[in-house]
Amino acid sequence: MEKYIEVKDLHKRYGKSSAVKGISFDVYKGEVFGLLGENGAGKSTTLEMIEGLRRPTSGEIKVFGKNIKTNTRFIKQKIGVQLQSSAYYSDLTLREILDLFCSFYDNCTSTQELLEIVNLEDKADKTVGQISGGQKQRFSIIASLVNDPELVFLDEPTTGLDPLARRNLWDIVLEIKKRGKTIVITTHYMEEAEVLCDRVAIMDRGEILVIGDTDQIIEKVDYPFKIKLSTKGLSQKERGKLSKFGNLDPGERKNNFVLKLPNKASLINALKEVENINPETFTVEKASLEDLFIQLTGRRAEKDENLS
Amino acid sequence: MKTLAKLFIADLKILVRNRQALFWSLAFPLIFTVVFGLFFGSESQSLGSLMIIDNSKTELSESLSDAIKDSEVFTLKEGLSEEQAREDLKKGKLGALVIIPKQFGEIVESSIQVPSGTIPSQPKFNKADIKVVYDPTSIQTNSTVVSVVDKFLSQFNLKVQGAENLYSIEEEKLGNENLTYFDFVLTGIIGMALMNSSIIGIAVGMAKYREDKILKRVTTTPLRTWKFIVAEVVSRLIVNLFQIALILIVSTQFFNAHIVGSIFTVFMIALLGGLLFQLIGFTIASFTKTTDAAQGMSTALTIPMMFLTGIFFPIEQLPKWLVSVVELLPLAPLLRMIRTVALEAESVFTEPKNFIIVAVWIIVCFAISASRFRLSEE
Repeated sequence: MEKYIEVKDLHKRYGKSSAVKGISFDVYKGEVFGLLGENGAGKSTTLEMIEGLRRPTSGEIKVFGKNIKTNTRFIKQKIGVQLQSSAYYSDLTLREILDLFCSFYDNCTSTQELLEIVNLEDKADKTVGQISGGQKQRFSIIASLVNDPELVFLDEPTTGLDPLARRNLWDIVLEIKKRGKTIVITTHYMEEAEVLCDRVAIMDRGEILVIGDTDQIIEKVDYPFKIKLSTKGLSQKERGKLSKFGNLDPGERKNNFVLKLPNKASLINALKEVENINPETFTVEKASLEDLFIQLTGRRAEKDENLS
Repeated sequence: MKTLAKLFIADLKILVRNRQALFWSLAFPLIFTVVFGLFFGSESQSLGSLMIIDNSKTELSESLSDAIKDSEVFTLKEGLSEEQAREDLKKGKLGALVIIPKQFGEIVESSIQVPSGTIPSQPKFNKADIKVVYDPTSIQTNSTVVSVVDKFLSQFNLKVQGAENLYSIEEEKLGNENLTYFDFVLTGIIGMALMNSSIIGIAVGMAKYREDKILKRVTTTPLRTWKFIVAEVVSRLIVNLFQIALILIVSTQFFNAHIVGSIFTVFMIALLGGLLFQLIGFTIASFTKTTDAAQGMSTALTIPMMFLTGIFFPIEQLPKWLVSVVELLPLAPLLRMIRTVALEAESVFTEPKNFIIVAVWIIVCFAISASRFRLSEE
């Protein structure tokens, strides 16, 4: 498969603090690649180094097989960038902004068509200040598409949006993917990554903790299955029995329990025991990216404590 | 070229649609023009109001009244009785009152008896004093009235005595005879308008673009930085031209302002000044991260220049040590250049020092901005 991005041992230091500590990964043509992590994990810094906005302290970045250091303008012609919470000229209309950004590139796609993708054709003559937050985010995505780029970078496109607007944005991202674009997206919403990303890298404190196909890396979690129970109360004996199969946690709500299970066999055995207990309701779930994320970052936090 | 044109048009639209930019470039200087125009422009050179009460109504008294009127330095009031006039004087509504007594210009004897007949007969006049009543606060009005009346009387006295004027004064005002204080301030306002709109406009504008991440967004595109800056600078210079034109039109059409020299050269100097102040704006933008900081730093630079560099009074009136500092500030030489051209109709290069100071500032600010100003942090 053709590699669109190759990152090798990338470092970025600001004075004494390190924002990115030697990460390496590739992004392949046609995929949606997710960089996940909490705020300050180094996602945006990594993205901006690939986009040619920040100079790496060390390491190598190739985009379309060319070194970003020496081919910045060539690469900028062919990529589209949506910045995190980026604002646009507040005194220009959407159409004027798109036309202006169009003129910065050799190639330019139809602005009318772009507005139609995100249902903003009737807002074309409004300014950024006159549209809603969700509309702004949608607009900032199509503004990154004016040059019909092969590679699109979306930096936390759904941060601060309500659930409906977020889902709406997912559809737009998938629509862009359908048009054959390669997408690199950062987010701290794990369920978003599960829906959108073919492959993900989980970042924490400037390092990549895990990288791989979204479905496959979820299986790396210690407890890939879980049973959620809702019952008035569990006796000490019942708790003991369930704990034999896996890890029993009190759930987030009252009378809720979560039993995390390490494998399929324990899941089947545990289900028999759950039947005996006869809870009011119970559900069986697969672990999510979020579980993996908490497991990975949680462990790291413990490791740090032991060190100190 | 297409990119540059598009950017330029977009920048112009932004400048026209942005209320704050428009205020600093157009409204603010215009307010100054109107205020100063109202005070010093419309009744040029008037030294105050004056009333003449002529109790004599002779040929002589009338020619005295005419002499005062012809001096054209007073606003004449009419139709008040002496009592009302004195009342107005007390209230400060009137600057001075000239009372011509009844005996003034009255001829006592129609002719003098001349025995030999060699000397032509002359009328003999009654002795009389002209009374000037004035408000102590309008000393200037008073001293001028007194000197006008006194001059008239001494000339008449001499004439009656048959003497000839041996010495007299020939007055010559430097430059154009019609120039007023308003013309001086007006040229100052032009400099002030250029300074405020350009320094504040660029410094705050760029800081806002940085805060809004517009500068960063622009750097994600292949657009070359110089194109972005050139479009910004040129669009603002165009606004500067409108700004100066508007000030000149309002001041000359409504407030009797005079520009004696070449208007074209005035505009050229304005463009040079616009460029200079925009570079100062970029220099500020290189060192400030937020809009507030940029606003503060530009104010800290523009306010002292506004009061010290000669917008409202010639800097020579300042203490000597201060003059030597102030004349090096960017606005001072620019104002001198504008005034040399506009008020004295001389060449900009009459005093090369001014041109050199402006050039040095442009070079220094350009060097700093070129090395320090970045569209995005690294």
